[in-house]
Amino acid sequence: MSSGRIQVVICRCCTESPKLLDIAKLEAAANDAELVMSVKVVDEICDGKAVVDVAREAAEKEIDRAVVLACHKRDVSPALLKAYRRAGIDRSMVEFVNVREEVVLPHVDDPEGAQKKAETKLKAALGRVTMLVPLLTETEEMRTKNVVIIGAGVAGMAAAEAAARAGAHTVIIEKSSRSVKAPGILMSNTRLVATKGTPGNYELTIMAGEKTEELECAAVVVATGGGWNSLKGPLAKASKDAVPLYKLSEMLQAGHAPKGPVVIVDTPDPTGKSLKVMDFAWDEALMTAIDVKKKHPQTEVFMLFQEMRAFGLSEITYKEAAELGIRFVRYDRTGVPKVDPKDPTKMTVTDLAQGELLSVRLGTLAFAAIPANPDNRDIADALRIPMTAEGGLRRGGIQRWPVATPRPGIFVCGSAVFPKSADAARAEGEAAGSMAAAYASKGTVEYGGSVAQVAQEKCSACLTCIRTCPYEAPYIGTANKVEIRRQLCQGCGICAGICPSKAIELLHYTDDQIQQETRTMLGGDF
Amino acid sequence: MTDRRPKVVGFCCERHGMDAAVLAARSGRQYDASVRVIQVPCSGRVDGLHILKAFEDGADAVFVIGCLEKNCYYDTGSIEGRKRVEYVKGMLAELGIEKERVEMFNAASTNAWAFPEAASKMVEVAKRLGPLDMGGDTR
Repeated sequence: MSSGRIQVVICRCCTESPKLLDIAKLEAAANDAELVMSVKVVDEICDGKAVVDVAREAAEKEIDRAVVLACHKRDVSPALLKAYRRAGIDRSMVEFVNVREEVVLPHVDDPEGAQKKAETKLKAALGRVTMLVPLLTETEEMRTKNVVIIGAGVAGMAAAEAAARAGAHTVIIEKSSRSVKAPGILMSNTRLVATKGTPGNYELTIMAGEKTEELECAAVVVATGGGWNSLKGPLAKASKDAVPLYKLSEMLQAGHAPKGPVVIVDTPDPTGKSLKVMDFAWDEALMTAIDVKKKHPQTEVFMLFQEMRAFGLSEITYKEAAELGIRFVRYDRTGVPKVDPKDPTKMTVTDLAQGELLSVRLGTLAFAAIPANPDNRDIADALRIPMTAEGGLRRGGIQRWPVATPRPGIFVCGSAVFPKSADAARAEGEAAGSMAAAYASKGTVEYGGSVAQVAQEKCSACLTCIRTCPYEAPYIGTANKVEIRRQLCQGCGICAGICPSKAIELLHYTDDQIQQETRTMLGGDF
Repeated sequence: MTDRRPKVVGFCCERHGMDAAVLAARSGRQYDASVRVIQVPCSGRVDGLHILKAFEDGADAVFVIGCLEKNCYYDTGSIEGRKRVEYVKGMLAELGIEKERVEMFNAASTNAWAFPEAASKMVEVAKRLGPLDMGGDTR
């Protein structure tokens, strides 16, 4: 195992401010270590001259791996890695030790401990760097530059325009027969059925009318939107005067008088059994109620709710509504609103404040709830992306991009995630569209690097990794043992941690490497 | 070996965990030098074996710090990490070792307090429970 020619680089900028460590001692420790061929102490590793110096010495002494004592590895100048690559050292063979943020800054009061810690860290890194192997990356050509956009709503259109502007070929899939002016191709009456392929080369199966078609694409933008297509839930079914909130608002805008009294209920399914609600449009509900009351002061307005969320400046709207004489009735699940089956214009609800059964005449019934798009389930299943508990599509962790899903090349935007105003949906659509176009325009996908690897002789095909992997990278191969799809592996190592047979190793973070580092770190006396 | 300080190992995920630690350092927060950070790509990478080996190699307390469970970079990684830690806790209890010696924490990359808090909590645990006696030939 112990082979290689190591270069140690110490950056004074990172290790000396505040002045805490004895750099000379560190340098001596590095010089004394086995296999170390070159030790460079530089003023600033982010300085171009220093990088050139370091790389020249690396080339002269035929260095093949390096330990860099500097700051966080993402903050060190990428020029260093480029210079190393020119000198024939792969980026995976360079080990960064974050002396600045792990040793110097948090231990200002303890110079002795910090010094020992830095020395031990250097030792651990030297141990680790000898165990590293160069990581292979492979590239795959993208077969098309297509960006498929699902949904021709506000977000979808914005995405299509942004993607087309960035030079991608856009294909919009719209399930309704809606016809909109859009760049690229618009396929109406079309649904997504299934997806195959790997990031950058997705193969979508779509149903265009009655026909099944295949569509290749590099990236997908999901903009399925949310809200009501048609009302659902027991309350909506019981009354023929039920409308979604936006219909009521439109009616008012058009100058029609709603049939009074107007009752706004939070959700058409107050027991929460059949309908999942993504969010409530409380602001809009309050505004609409005020609108009704202002335009038609004689109309009685009731708002029935379990939990009113009017926070921030909406508080003022709430106050105004109350002053205008809108009646707020709070109920809970023990006394939900019911429409009398014999007389569909009569609604009863237990008012929590009074503790009494309240009977309301129904003129117009509207709902503040915004449900998730029911198609989200099919879309998520087809694209293999996760969903939120409320039925929206889930974005990846926030350290990915705000419109990205955990699957590379698939982006979500607009109300498909959670309800948004048209402006926000448009902005998100543009973001997703340009991200997708940027992804598609790369032309190649790079994969590999720090990915999982299976030692097939140890694998007992217990399926644990297949069940655990969030990205569906492991599969049972032809030899009835697990294999890893390198294109899908994102290098988290969850499979390596959970494998009961210890058959999976995550390159660059193997069990040996982690345990060796732990042991060396614990060996230091500080 | 009487004045030996407690030795604490922190397995720190490369994403939110490490970012939280870096942010803590940059905002000037201090913690005990005896905390040894081992970087792993994801808290789900931490194997029960790594934790147990750390105890065998002389750690008095071990903690794992990962992303918030609903905002994990690798989606289910920090949930998996917590499961492993719970599993190791069970094993420690069987071995007659205090199970407080191992703990899982979650941090968002913007939580400057999260890492130092976790670190000092574990240092305190290690000090309170004293050095871990593995009985027999420890390294």
